[in-house]
Amino acid sequence: MNTNPTEYAHPEALVDAAWLEQHLDDKDIRIVESNEDILLYDTGHIPGAVHIDWRADLQDPVIRDYITPDKFAELCSRNGITPETTCIFYGDKANWWACYALWAFRLFGHRNVKILNGGRDKWKADGRKLTREVPQNAHTTYPIPVRRMDKEIRAFADEALAQSQANKPLIDVRSPGEYKGEITHMAEYPQEGVLRGGHIPGAKSVPWKTATNDDGTFKSAAELGKIYLENAGVKPDVDTIVYCRIGERSSHTWYVLTYLLGLGNVRNYDGSWTEWGNKVAAPIERSS
Amino acid sequence: MYPEKLQNIIDLFDHLPEVERRETLVAYSDSAPKQEPRGGERFDLEDVRKDEECADTVGVYLQVDDEGRAHLRMTLGPEVQTLTRAMTSILCKGLDGATPQEILDLPSDFVTRIVGAELVRVRSQTTYYVLTRIKGVCKVYLDRQRRAVA
Repeated sequence: MNTNPTEYAHPEALVDAAWLEQHLDDKDIRIVESNEDILLYDTGHIPGAVHIDWRADLQDPVIRDYITPDKFAELCSRNGITPETTCIFYGDKANWWACYALWAFRLFGHRNVKILNGGRDKWKADGRKLTREVPQNAHTTYPIPVRRMDKEIRAFADEALAQSQANKPLIDVRSPGEYKGEITHMAEYPQEGVLRGGHIPGAKSVPWKTATNDDGTFKSAAELGKIYLENAGVKPDVDTIVYCRIGERSSHTWYVLTYLLGLGNVRNYDGSWTEWGNKVAAPIERSS
Repeated sequence: MYPEKLQNIIDLFDHLPEVERRETLVAYSDSAPKQEPRGGERFDLEDVRKDEECADTVGVYLQVDDEGRAHLRMTLGPEVQTLTRAMTSILCKGLDGATPQEILDLPSDFVTRIVGAELVRVRSQTTYYVLTRIKGVCKVYLDRQRRAVA
């Protein structure tokens, strides 16, 4: 099916490579690369792009939580970002980590955020320019956010439990094997010490990649509507919680539901299965 | 303690600031294709497989010369991550000429000195994967040698 970006609820939250290539030097944008491959940015990136590492830059080094608002302000300031800057995120793995970084920026209230459709792989496959030159952006003074938007876009374990008990939409975006409880981590990924397998009772399985085409671009609005609204029980007037293993894959689905389908009440449970599968007495459902 | 070539690489990384460490790792990653088998080369052991621990297929090729010294070649699938590519180059170069037993006995603590504690912490599986595969091939080779003698 052909994808017409204008059919998305918020087409302004998505740019394509052709547009970005024409706007690399725009002063009011900052291109942000965020990857799973920790050295990939160093091997070449979109000209002008800065690198934000999902773990080193966005997570607290000690406590399992995100950085504090003052650290976020420091991060933005040293990357030449102001509250008015439009941050365009892209990365490997069809924008997994880019969506995670975007979600974290929204957590701190940064408003102007976009995703490069298709991410790094499509940019490279199209033969567009990559460089190893690291941009030297003038430091800015990003004001310390007054608060994090935990309440609006983030869910904690007790809220996921309440969601389950209320039979409200819960979307498990992990692989089918993880959902069924056959495995506790993705194939090719390290076992991260989860003691129990399965899913939160009532959660529907919609692997994150269901939302993308083979080239990493997002499926059309009609296709996404069928996947989530028709088949997975997501409803515009009922709040939805998405989760995966550590909240990264579910950030991708959070982006799809929030920006491409326009749902205003989706939260990402970033504790996800590495918390739920270890939590004493947490209810778990398994399926064949 | 370490084979001389590997020791030289360790010494190089020991003194690098973080930015240069990353640049040097990327340079080693760039040279990973040079570690692939070349036309006409014959190997005592070939181990090509896709493991759960790695994003793509990795092949390890071992040749042991008349003096009992190991020479390694490796192939990497396109999805293999940059750090794994870097470790491939480092280990193929650093372990060239060591004996299979020396490779098998090699302590793995040097990895932190090359990659840096931070990258090891966040990507521990990636950083040790290539060394584990190379040791695995050496072990199979030595086991076969022992069986042949017995």
